[in-house]
Amino acid sequence: MIGRSPRWAVYIMAVVGFIWIIPIIGIVVMSIRPMSETMLGWWRLDEVSFTLSAWKRVWGEYELGNAFWSTARLAGISTVLTMLMTPAAAYAFHFLKFRFRRLLLIIIINAFVLPQQVVIIPLFRLWRDLGMIDNIAAVVIPYVGMSFAWSIFLVKNFLEDFPKELIEASRIDGCGPISTFRHVVLPNALSPIFAVGILQFLWTWNALLLPMLYLRNDLPLPVVLASVSGSYDPNWDLKAVAAIITTSVPLVIFMIFQRQFAAGSQVNSGGKE
Amino acid sequence: MGQSAAKYAAGAALSGRDRGERGIDLAAHSRPRLRDAPAAWLLIIPVLLLFSVSVVYPLFETLRLSLFDIRGLAPPEYVGFGNYVQLFADPAFRNTISTTLIFTLATTAISVVIGWTLAMLCSFAPRQTLPFRLMVFAAFGVSETVSGFMWIGILRPDEAGLLNSVIGIFSPGFSYAWLGDETTALGALIVAATWSAVGLPMLLCFASVQAIPRSVLEAAYMDGAKPVSIMRHIMMPLSLPGVRVAIFINLLGALRAFDIIYILTGGGPVRATETIGYFMYRESMTQFKLGYGAAATVVLLIAVLVISIPAIAQRTAGAK
Repeated sequence: MIGRSPRWAVYIMAVVGFIWIIPIIGIVVMSIRPMSETMLGWWRLDEVSFTLSAWKRVWGEYELGNAFWSTARLAGISTVLTMLMTPAAAYAFHFLKFRFRRLLLIIIINAFVLPQQVVIIPLFRLWRDLGMIDNIAAVVIPYVGMSFAWSIFLVKNFLEDFPKELIEASRIDGCGPISTFRHVVLPNALSPIFAVGILQFLWTWNALLLPMLYLRNDLPLPVVLASVSGSYDPNWDLKAVAAIITTSVPLVIFMIFQRQFAAGSQVNSGGKE
Repeated sequence: MGQSAAKYAAGAALSGRDRGERGIDLAAHSRPRLRDAPAAWLLIIPVLLLFSVSVVYPLFETLRLSLFDIRGLAPPEYVGFGNYVQLFADPAFRNTISTTLIFTLATTAISVVIGWTLAMLCSFAPRQTLPFRLMVFAAFGVSETVSGFMWIGILRPDEAGLLNSVIGIFSPGFSYAWLGDETTALGALIVAATWSAVGLPMLLCFASVQAIPRSVLEAAYMDGAKPVSIMRHIMMPLSLPGVRVAIFINLLGALRAFDIIYILTGGGPVRATETIGYFMYRESMTQFKLGYGAAATVVLLIAVLVISIPAIAQRTAGAK
């Protein structure tokens, strides 16, 4: 950054970095070594061999395939719904005039502070009365509904820099509000829409509480992992594989898009390295 | 999961408020065109419907239910503020409040301090420290359920627990149930929660420092400022906005914590690690005292609102 970079800063950071990933290394090593060797700790080097048996057995013993599929379905549906509904609402809130616009907007964007514990009891009673427990909609509806608080805010924030001339030009050319949205705003607002999609995907993929309470059969990965890691099931190698599979998809997405997190969280940063 | 929506999104969303040019933007807005209203309603109706079902209705229903005594399927009985009176007379809940305070404040303070420090270190050598920054940041990306599982591996009571065996190097045969003992369980939980919470403050503060114009830092360097004084007088003050946002998000996240507690301790031993967010789950979903749990939720809600008032005021002012 300036002059020569002090070496000690790099060394300290290197040590911290390696300490930080010890828990991650732990489960990776546990998943590829036989249980007999890692019984007393994955780091022991008395004898070292490599096996993929846990990776093969886990699909049958914990039904990870099903869980993977239901997680993907749950996160996928919620993400698509959020990505479809958010831009329309953000556009309406930003460019159109209607009664209660400001009031509704304030209510929606401030709802992001609500803890999800607030929805648990009322929705549990509602789903039970409607016979919707164990229906995927019981989880998807609150996920999408709760996401609007931040997703609308993100997209609307982006629209603040949207060139107004484009909107006016399309109006003069005879576009109604909806076709202006469809042909002018939507094609030019893809980046915040995808950012919203990524966030929603991560959130719903990792969710534990709502699926645990509202679903019975098609359980997603975090719930399956929570149930096996809480039990006195000694299969540490299998659990390690299950943990890696649970977190691999979101972690990869997270690391690929981490620059966007920084960019999105930083205002007016000129994007300099 | 520890309310990851806020964790992931609020960082991005919150700081947007500074976007400036409010006045200009307001002036540029044309006169109200209420003829757009039908189209606008058409576009927002789906959002309003889902939002009402999953936020507005539960909010009011929770407030209402907190005034009833509901046990399982029995007909609800109106008790007024009885649940709240009972709640604050309940030693378990009073214990929960102090646990919540300790857990929330400690997790937030430790993670923000570490994250900020690391961000300062990295700012001296952004390119060389990139891989190490990613390592710390990876922990933030690991889902809470999985990080809970990883920490069980470290804190296990037998010699296969990493912590026990590291201590075992110095005193052979050492074993201690970190999560099973009332005195250390909360501390262990805080360490585990902090591990994943450091990524966000680091990211936010680092980004703030990166946004400082190069010329400022170069000028300071030319004037003979040492790295430490550049850090003290330029980088630290200018990264404060990042620190503020990080404190806010980590506070909210820790206050609502659920997943990591569920996995690591399940609130035990003897309810020593129950925060309010977990207490309500236990009372309502495992003991089926729905009204009582709802009252605990309202207490949590009030705590969250108190913390969020500054942010809400800012966002509300920004909503045009």
